[in-house]
Amino acid sequence: MPSPFSEAGGLMNKNKLAFFFLVAAVFGLALLTRLRAAELLPIDYDEDDYLSAAQYYAAAIRRGDIQTVIDYRFNYEHPPLSKLVYGLALLSLPEAEQVPEPTDPNIPPATSLPEPQFHRVRYLSSFWGVLTATALAAVNPLAGFLLAINTWHTKYTAQIMLEALPALTSALAVIFYTVGIRRRPGRVAGLNPWLVASAVMLGLTASAKYMYCVVGLAILADWWLRRDDEQGVSRKGWQKWLLPVMAWGGLAILIFFATNPSLWNHPLRRFWESLFYHWGYSQSAHVKEAGLPYYQPLVWLLISVPWHPGVFLLPVDQIVTVLAIFGLGRLWERQRVFAIWLAAALVFLLIWSTKWPQYILMLSVPLCLAAGYGLEVLVIDPLIRLYKGWRNPSLVQKQYEKPVTWRQNLAALPWLLPGITILTIITLFPLLYQLAMSLTDLSNMSLKDGIQGGVWREVVQGISGQVEPVDLDVYNPQRANEVRYTGPGLLKDIFSGGLSDLVSFEIIWTVLSVGLQLGLGLAVALILESPNLLFRRWWRVVCILPWAIPEFAGVLMWLQIYDPQFGWAKQTAEGLGANAPGILMALTRWREEPVISLVLMLVAATWYGFPIMMLAATAGLKMISPVVYEAAAIDGASGWKLFRQITWPLLLPLLVPVMIIRAIFAFNQFYLFYVFESRTNYTMSYLSYFLAKSGFYAISAAINIFVIVVLITLILVFSRWSRASEGVTYA
Amino acid sequence: MHKNSWLRQVAYQFALVLVLIFVMIPILDIFRIAFDGTIRLAPLDFRLWPKEFTFDTFVRTWQNPSQDLSVWQLLKNSLIVSGGAALLSVSLGLSMAYAFARMRFTGQRVGLFGLLLGSLMPPVALMTPLYVLLTLMGIRTTLFGLMLVYTAFSMPFCIWSMRSTFQAIPKELEEAAFLDGASAFKTFLRINLPLSLPSITVAGLVAFLTGYTEFAIGWLFVESSKNVTLAMALSGAVNYSGAIWGSLSALVFIMGVPIVLIFLLLQKYLVKGLLVGGLEAGDE
Repeated sequence: MPSPFSEAGGLMNKNKLAFFFLVAAVFGLALLTRLRAAELLPIDYDEDDYLSAAQYYAAAIRRGDIQTVIDYRFNYEHPPLSKLVYGLALLSLPEAEQVPEPTDPNIPPATSLPEPQFHRVRYLSSFWGVLTATALAAVNPLAGFLLAINTWHTKYTAQIMLEALPALTSALAVIFYTVGIRRRPGRVAGLNPWLVASAVMLGLTASAKYMYCVVGLAILADWWLRRDDEQGVSRKGWQKWLLPVMAWGGLAILIFFATNPSLWNHPLRRFWESLFYHWGYSQSAHVKEAGLPYYQPLVWLLISVPWHPGVFLLPVDQIVTVLAIFGLGRLWERQRVFAIWLAAALVFLLIWSTKWPQYILMLSVPLCLAAGYGLEVLVIDPLIRLYKGWRNPSLVQKQYEKPVTWRQNLAALPWLLPGITILTIITLFPLLYQLAMSLTDLSNMSLKDGIQGGVWREVVQGISGQVEPVDLDVYNPQRANEVRYTGPGLLKDIFSGGLSDLVSFEIIWTVLSVGLQLGLGLAVALILESPNLLFRRWWRVVCILPWAIPEFAGVLMWLQIYDPQFGWAKQTAEGLGANAPGILMALTRWREEPVISLVLMLVAATWYGFPIMMLAATAGLKMISPVVYEAAAIDGASGWKLFRQITWPLLLPLLVPVMIIRAIFAFNQFYLFYVFESRTNYTMSYLSYFLAKSGFYAISAAINIFVIVVLITLILVFSRWSRASEGVTYA
Repeated sequence: MHKNSWLRQVAYQFALVLVLIFVMIPILDIFRIAFDGTIRLAPLDFRLWPKEFTFDTFVRTWQNPSQDLSVWQLLKNSLIVSGGAALLSVSLGLSMAYAFARMRFTGQRVGLFGLLLGSLMPPVALMTPLYVLLTLMGIRTTLFGLMLVYTAFSMPFCIWSMRSTFQAIPKELEEAAFLDGASAFKTFLRINLPLSLPSITVAGLVAFLTGYTEFAIGWLFVESSKNVTLAMALSGAVNYSGAIWGSLSALVFIMGVPIVLIFLLLQKYLVKGLLVGGLEAGDE
């Protein structure tokens, strides 16, 4: 085994030297990107604060004044370890003028900071970043490579921020855990040296920045699931699990207190203060003025750092995120704890009310690992297969199919003719025309010219280079009287993250609405299929009812309930008078509050969508053989165990096609948003409709092209899942 | 499998009552608003049952819906547009579905993928170019134009679902007919068509409902108030700022009740037609 960290499999295991070389290459690349960024990036917000803190610590340590180190209160919302370590790095330098403690977060950062102190600290931070990428490379070199070039990680580890150290220690805590958990348990409380190291790293993480401790939750969850796997369907053995976990957690807490001087005098009070500072801060004007929506973390993930053109070598973060989606399955199979980490961090970021971009470093490591697997699944594995097939053709089992003869074609032609004719006129040609429209600035002013052949004229002349493309200002489009060629610039913008706000909302909307529909639908199906249920037939009709009501009508019903002026919340509030609880008033303001409106729309979408999931799950449950249950019953399994280990694994493959179809519908949902007149949350279909309605046909067409490309990708994933895209229908 | 204890039975029934409440909330609400005679413009107090049960709102709405047309005329427009779209989708797609199910030809896989894409594409993605093209043809604002648009939305799905129906018919039946000397066309007419008639009806029904419940794109295309459909009238009433809630709710009933009845009556066929295919794939 070349590395204790890498999982079995892959090319890497065959060649120790190659593996070592790859890790070294990632180290070199990460060093290059971080140092380049440390040189080129301008001084950012907060850098002066943290440098000031480091100087303060350095001066106190030089004086041997430990009490000052303990009592130093500036920036107490973040534990001191990162700042303290920065201070240690300054010890060997001559003392420079103390940077003043900033008072107002809105004041722009200092224009110059003392040298060489400033760059010394930046290099130290960069070094933590380089180590993180190298450690990840030891797990999976591809992932390490992706982290090395990740622009967000590069920026916020190359600058004097508090992210670099906890990002490193949290990654090490997880990596050490994955090694330790596979080895023999140690003698003391079942902890072997790797698990001890993991606990130490978790403690350091807590001392550096609290939120990075989600890795602790991920480790606990994985540890618990592992116990579940090992124990099979029996119930025993959780005591065996508890002792090492308690020891591990206790050690981490111990390290946290030991490395956090600010807690040494009044541990609990200080801890409390620093933890609850965030509550006040998240409600402060500073955060509110930033006006970042709840889905902003996803927006950060869908773009590269936009503010410093030319600093980053390969700004391809959006591609990494897409790759990560494809690698999720393999991540769950091979490195489950990283998958849980990714999910937990994402949920935390979406719920947490401050949305600063540096926070996404919490999940850069698992994201890049998922993306590494995605790259394997999409590119490397097919290449290896191709190579092997080329070396040894007999390995490739080629399906032999007789070629279609011209006779067969001729026989099929009359059958196909009517369908092909009309589909060409009403779908195929329009789609082609849509592509042409997206290359122009067609609007309602130029419609007359457009339909008289203007669109084709401009596109043909533009592509053949006879006319120069005109710039189209998307935010303030000019409507000309004649169609003009604008080139593929708009499409390029959209495909490189121009719609990342909408895409972020779409992802949240799709995941949540399909998840809720599935949850409720599955629960109802399980109940309806349980033996001896009374009134089964009646209940089934009740549960199917929302499906029979047209989506538009159903949404309208909910809208009347939600109405800010005459809806239920308002009526109840008026009935109660002054005693009305605040939540009722909040509910009436849903049009201004994006999160509340999201929740209300999700309720309506769940109501409308769960019956289909229930029907699918019922049909699936009927296909699971009762013999399986009988066998499980003999083994003594029941309740939750039975569901998790028998029903769910057998049912999931049957549900996935329906889930994907429902996801496509949620992604394209339009009428719901139309009826709700949603202003803050909406899908691309909705935007496209209103652009077309206001006469910006070209922009609407470009968005549609993007939607169709996403759809094609989803369907390709889908047909992989349902083997042949054969008999799959709506649902 | 073990039997349910009475405790479990109670817990399940309780859970289902909660689901029942969730399902019935919006239905009861709209029922109350549509039949409550005390509501002038919008409801002012919270209640689940009409204070004064009355059909007045219904009658008034029936005689004078929000648009210039009567309900009958709105319904007629709806039926022309969506019925026409369903008829076009099924009749022109029928032979194509059969070819995809039983014959072999070049580009079959690509075509199949295209059909799937077409069935899952959001209507809006096709709307923009259709708007321009139908303007070019000069039929954008007519009922026939709208019919074509709705055909474009529903035809790929119709073909797709009829194809799976044809595929499910045992090949032996056809082979027997062939041996008796029947032509491909005759076999199709005598064997496949009658056997798959229920599923074809379901496909047509889905196409019909696509048009029957569509309104947003209708409003974009149609200009004359003569060509407004029922769903469009309903959505027009919503967007009208002084909306009278009672008549709005009554319109929802007028539009929705027939559909719910159809769904509940044809439940068995619809579930089969819409779901079976999806599970076939997992079954292979």
